[in-house]
Amino acid sequence: MSHLISRKRMTLLLAAAAIGTVTGTAIAAAADLSVARSVDADSLDAYKTSNTQSLQITNLIFDTLLTMDKDGSVHPGLASAWTMSDDGKTYSFTIRDNVKCHDGSSFDAAAAKASLDRAIDPATVNPSLSAWGPISGTAVEGTDLKVTLSEPYGPFTSFLTSIQASFMCPSSFASAEFKPVGTGPFKLVDWVRNDKIELEANADYKNFSPLIENPGKPHIDKLTFKVIPEAVARMAALRSGEADLVEPSLEEATDLKDDEAYKVYAAELSGQQVIAAFTWKIKPLDKPEIRKAIGMAMNRDAYASIAFEGLVNTANCPVAPNLFSTDEALCATWGVSYDQAAAKAIMEENGYTAENPLKVKLLVHKLPGWDQMHQIMQQDLAAINVQADIETREVAAFFDYMSTVNEKSDGEPAVWTMGMSGVDPDYLYFLWKRPGFVNMGLNETVDTMLEEQRKLSGDARADKIHEIEKYLMENAYAVPLLSPGWGWLMASTSKVDGFKMGFMVSLLFNDVTVAE
Amino acid sequence: MLLLIFKRVLIAFFTVIAVILLSGILVHVVPGDPVTAMMAQSVSATPEAMAEMRARLGLDLPVWQQVLLYTWHVLQGDLGTSIRGNESVAWLFLQRLPNTFSLAVSGLVIALAIGLPLGFIAAINRGRLAETVVMVLAVLGVSIPAFWLGLILMQLFALELGWLPVAGSGWRNIVLPALTLGLTYCALVARMTRSALIEVLEEDYIRTARARGLREYQVLFVHALRPALISIVTVVGLVFAYLLGGQVIIENVFSWNGVGRLAVQAMLQRDYPMIQGFIVVFATSVVVVSMLIDILYGFLDPRMRKS
Repeated sequence: MSHLISRKRMTLLLAAAAIGTVTGTAIAAAADLSVARSVDADSLDAYKTSNTQSLQITNLIFDTLLTMDKDGSVHPGLASAWTMSDDGKTYSFTIRDNVKCHDGSSFDAAAAKASLDRAIDPATVNPSLSAWGPISGTAVEGTDLKVTLSEPYGPFTSFLTSIQASFMCPSSFASAEFKPVGTGPFKLVDWVRNDKIELEANADYKNFSPLIENPGKPHIDKLTFKVIPEAVARMAALRSGEADLVEPSLEEATDLKDDEAYKVYAAELSGQQVIAAFTWKIKPLDKPEIRKAIGMAMNRDAYASIAFEGLVNTANCPVAPNLFSTDEALCATWGVSYDQAAAKAIMEENGYTAENPLKVKLLVHKLPGWDQMHQIMQQDLAAINVQADIETREVAAFFDYMSTVNEKSDGEPAVWTMGMSGVDPDYLYFLWKRPGFVNMGLNETVDTMLEEQRKLSGDARADKIHEIEKYLMENAYAVPLLSPGWGWLMASTSKVDGFKMGFMVSLLFNDVTVAE
Repeated sequence: MLLLIFKRVLIAFFTVIAVILLSGILVHVVPGDPVTAMMAQSVSATPEAMAEMRARLGLDLPVWQQVLLYTWHVLQGDLGTSIRGNESVAWLFLQRLPNTFSLAVSGLVIALAIGLPLGFIAAINRGRLAETVVMVLAVLGVSIPAFWLGLILMQLFALELGWLPVAGSGWRNIVLPALTLGLTYCALVARMTRSALIEVLEEDYIRTARARGLREYQVLFVHALRPALISIVTVVGLVFAYLLGGQVIIENVFSWNGVGRLAVQAMLQRDYPMIQGFIVVFATSVVVVSMLIDILYGFLDPRMRKS
């Protein structure tokens, strides 16, 4: 009997403990917005991180010299105007008057120079250092920041619009301990690592980005980023009102998009692109016609509509839509079209039949939507007598492995998939110029064209980029699949209005309002 | 007794050193390194840039040198600096240890508060319905994944009833993860308590105590409970050590800002100093708790002191 009493007491104690903590669920006030993401920033120093979740925050605290519109065109930012010398080696940026830092100091040409000098200083160990280009000198001339390059660098102005190219106020790095002080729409209030980042609206903010309508201070006063690693818990937070905006899983985004109480946002301006590539040094993938046949078997519409639930689009170019010079219609004329019957005929002409299929590995890394895409792809390839065995690796291990695989000229041939993002087609240089990303560099012809596009600007550069894209696609070194291709989705309650996702998955809160 | 403590401390020290060396090697054996993880798919990840970053981070040294260097630093009390964020690993752990410790203690208290009485009830009701019920509950508790139980509790208390928050590290947030851990481990404690008590209750001296006419509560609480505690203390100690380092899943489910979550993020980012720091902290906590259990044995059982 006494034991039964103990048990009852325990039950009562547990119930009391639970009830005692009840005070009701917190719901964000109208002028506050709470965002739940899966991981935290690893640094708020934009020159010490390449992590998207970090740059999403730094992009709210800092501004960029230039900005980019939906069509990939470059517009003024902290610099009201800019010029480039005829030889393409000197740029002059006129810094706007009366731009205030969060600590009240002025952001002028000298501040811009100090920030840029720090970004390119090898001692900073900036993971984005090479993307800044071959900068050989910086100087201040009145209200102008002059930047000298050792050679022309076509993507320079595009890069200056990117979230990696933040400009900081010198007080950020005046002391040994970095303090993020910028001119951006939000000021840092508090950061509890792995828990939350609290920001407040910058009352003095002036917007220059063409992607944003609100010319001044953001409508919301307080912006809190919470870290909730589990997708189920993030959705619970959204449904309970603990969060107004969350990163949903792909499956949950599919459910929410048909629910009027919620909104789903896809990163259409992400600059992201998914491609299929080949171990083209290994037979028989050294033959362009075999690579083309494999590309022709890939049903991109199915990947977009089934694997990604219609939240992404098919892509025709090796560079993401909306970026400089990208012409989807033009790329469609160069690339392979979906035609499994023709693809099968090519394979049979080359001796690959149902009884004697071509055996390849399908080397992939794990991401939402990608697993399903690879399963469909496996079926697509089976239909043209290609037996693909899927090998999945975790991201870091995958790229490490691909570096080895892409060096080989014998062994089992492989088809592999990857994603890339940027604000300029110059990422073709990074991918395909020898040795290339994970040793995927091609040949001297491509190297030369990639070097040449960097030395050009305007239409001449666009033409050169088209030439490179045409070469890649006619020789089927790359099969463009989808854009955007990563799980960069956001979902909010329908009370949230005006939220946008910009280039490189930047989060734009300037126009956001939260209804009561 | 002093000799026992000295021996245990010495063994604990060399165990931790062995763990550091072994883990240091294993961390480097896993494909991919911090630079690949950091710069994968970044437009700046040129081979030259990656090589330069590896050199700056000391990752270009042979693995044995990196491991020995790290061990030397740990012996001097320096756990290094995180590759992501460039912050002191020791400081990052110290910030989170109170959260992990409070969750471990809360979970353990709930596990003991439920598990000990249940085990006791099962032991003294051997062969009866009460024992069957307790054992069925214990099997259920051991079988139900903590992840699933956590989500069910979240659904019930946070979404349906709206009593508790879903995620965070405030004082109200500890209830659900602590309850999840407590319910998961109470089954283990109940089973262990039952077995230990049953074993003791079959001893001759218990029969003698009963034959001498002692009341049943005297037999149970004075003569049976203390010897049974030795086995229970072992399990409780190991559960506590595990809770200190192994509540990774629950910390993730409830977004509890403890060392477990830090470790998961570090593993995905191949942040070697953070991963090794976690292993050192976790190994040390397991070794220290095991050592304390051994020493506690000495107090509970005089035979241990003599041996």
